[in-house]
Amino acid sequence: MVSPTARTKIFCAAGAVLLAALAAASLFAGKYPLTLAGLLAGDEMQLRVFWTLRVSRTAVGAAGGFALGVAGFVYQTVFRNPLASPDVIGVSSGASAGAAAGILFCSGAAAVTAASFAGALAAVGLSLALSALDRSGRHSTIVLAGIAVHSLAQTALMCLKLTADPERELASIEYWIMGSLNGITGYGIGGNLALCALCVGVLFLLHRQIILLSAEEGEARMLGVEVGRLRLAVLLAATLAVACVVSLSGLISFVGLLAPHGARLLTRRSGPGTMLLGGLLGGILLTGADLLARSVAAAELPVSIFTSLLGAPFLIFLIVKGRRDP
Amino acid sequence: MSFLAVQALAAGYGGRQVLKGVSLEAEAGQLVGVLGANGSGKTTLLKAVCGILPHTGACALDGLGLEGLPPRQLARRCSYIPQRSGIAIDLSALEVVLMGFNPRLGLLERPTPAMRAEARAALARVGLAGREEENYLHLSEGQKQLCILARTLVSGGGLLLLDEPESALDLRYRSRMLGLLQSWVRQGRRAALVALHDPALALNGCDRLVILEEGRVRGVLDPASDPLEEMERQLAAVYGAVSLCRCRGRTGHSQLVLLKEPDEPAG
Repeated sequence: MVSPTARTKIFCAAGAVLLAALAAASLFAGKYPLTLAGLLAGDEMQLRVFWTLRVSRTAVGAAGGFALGVAGFVYQTVFRNPLASPDVIGVSSGASAGAAAGILFCSGAAAVTAASFAGALAAVGLSLALSALDRSGRHSTIVLAGIAVHSLAQTALMCLKLTADPERELASIEYWIMGSLNGITGYGIGGNLALCALCVGVLFLLHRQIILLSAEEGEARMLGVEVGRLRLAVLLAATLAVACVVSLSGLISFVGLLAPHGARLLTRRSGPGTMLLGGLLGGILLTGADLLARSVAAAELPVSIFTSLLGAPFLIFLIVKGRRDP
Repeated sequence: MSFLAVQALAAGYGGRQVLKGVSLEAEAGQLVGVLGANGSGKTTLLKAVCGILPHTGACALDGLGLEGLPPRQLARRCSYIPQRSGIAIDLSALEVVLMGFNPRLGLLERPTPAMRAEARAALARVGLAGREEENYLHLSEGQKQLCILARTLVSGGGLLLLDEPESALDLRYRSRMLGLLQSWVRQGRRAALVALHDPALALNGCDRLVILEEGRVRGVLDPASDPLEEMERQLAAVYGAVSLCRCRGRTGHSQLVLLKEPDEPAG
């Protein structure tokens, strides 16, 4: 029988190979056909499409999915809840409201990205500030504060939609909320990806502490954990990583929930290997969904349709398999 | 001054005071049992001593006040085992024990090979040798308690606070657990405060017994030397009418046996 450690390593290796294969396919798939021969021959148009569109889109798909998977692992572990996801503390709804404001009051994709990032940070800042009012430091306080902020952000989004021009602005807002990697170019993604990588790196470094936070608060404290400060730092890093991704891509549903859950069901452990696998599954899911989004129809489809279509059966399969296995 | 000195400790939940001015002492090398009816304040006492619950009063270990110590400093001196650990994610038994080294590790440090060896030895001491890689969540409740006990043994503090650690253990492992605690407190300047569900185990395994009644100390017993009648009287406050007698087993080992007598009908 394969030990959990060996099983984790095997799944991580397989996940890395699959993600690399999907990323390679993503570099060549799309409306404008690219060929390896054309790129090697120095075809100027092909090279421009490759470097400005495909590389950046693939990087955001793979790295973004990875970050969503890792952040989901952190949320589920810290909140001791397998259903926890980035919206627990309002990041997605804050980003949506920010993006809607950006679409209405600014011009240009970069401004929308900046506005959604600001919205996500404002929502998280508000959630954490509200939870800090209760000095007991209970998990439930953060969750309740997150629900309150989520509702506020949804209200703001509704108000912004009401004032939007139904022909253009409202459609843009809806399209943003459905999520898409279409339109991502090499301009302006470097900062987001660098910050995202930094946050994910910090989360891996703090993995042992994240596991300690999964114990009950009193128990974690008696294991020498500064529960309040550490939880704040960990949630901030996870949320920043998510904000970096969703401000580029729009809302991506299911990846942050499914990828870590799937990783745990596959490895039946919660070590750093499982966190890595959660990231790899997130990358696979988002890159695969993005490939389908630009391949199955003449027009680009929202990526969240495919993250859910791919993810839901996979999750059900894992749950059923997990119940059957001893 | 005593190794552990608790003075006028009062604590509660949501405005309801459960502990109403408890004072007690423990010397180094002593295993002190806490007995009391359900709701008498045993768990509250342990949580207040280690600072999980806000409280008034003072707790000092080896002359150093425990209040206000940062969690890492506190964890180096004092370990607490709850009735049930809150671990709810898939971890191996070894990973759970390795958590006990956290107070000795820097924020980003990982347990050393020596610590891993120590953790394996601790699992073997509690009777879980060879089960290091098993999923903690798949262990029985009793095995989980033993695993958490192993985690506590490696943490290296001077004071152990245990909340009914025997509640899910069978007879053999109850005795083994108490034997481990007895040998642990006698190594260096250490003491343990243990809330126990089983009075017979407490009478035969603890050096001193504190009887709690409605958040106050009703009495302190020394099972080795106190007269049986006095102990019966104190225990009756918790368990109703009881009889105590000393018996000698086939090996010649003397033990206190507790018999529950019929309670007088009310009214």
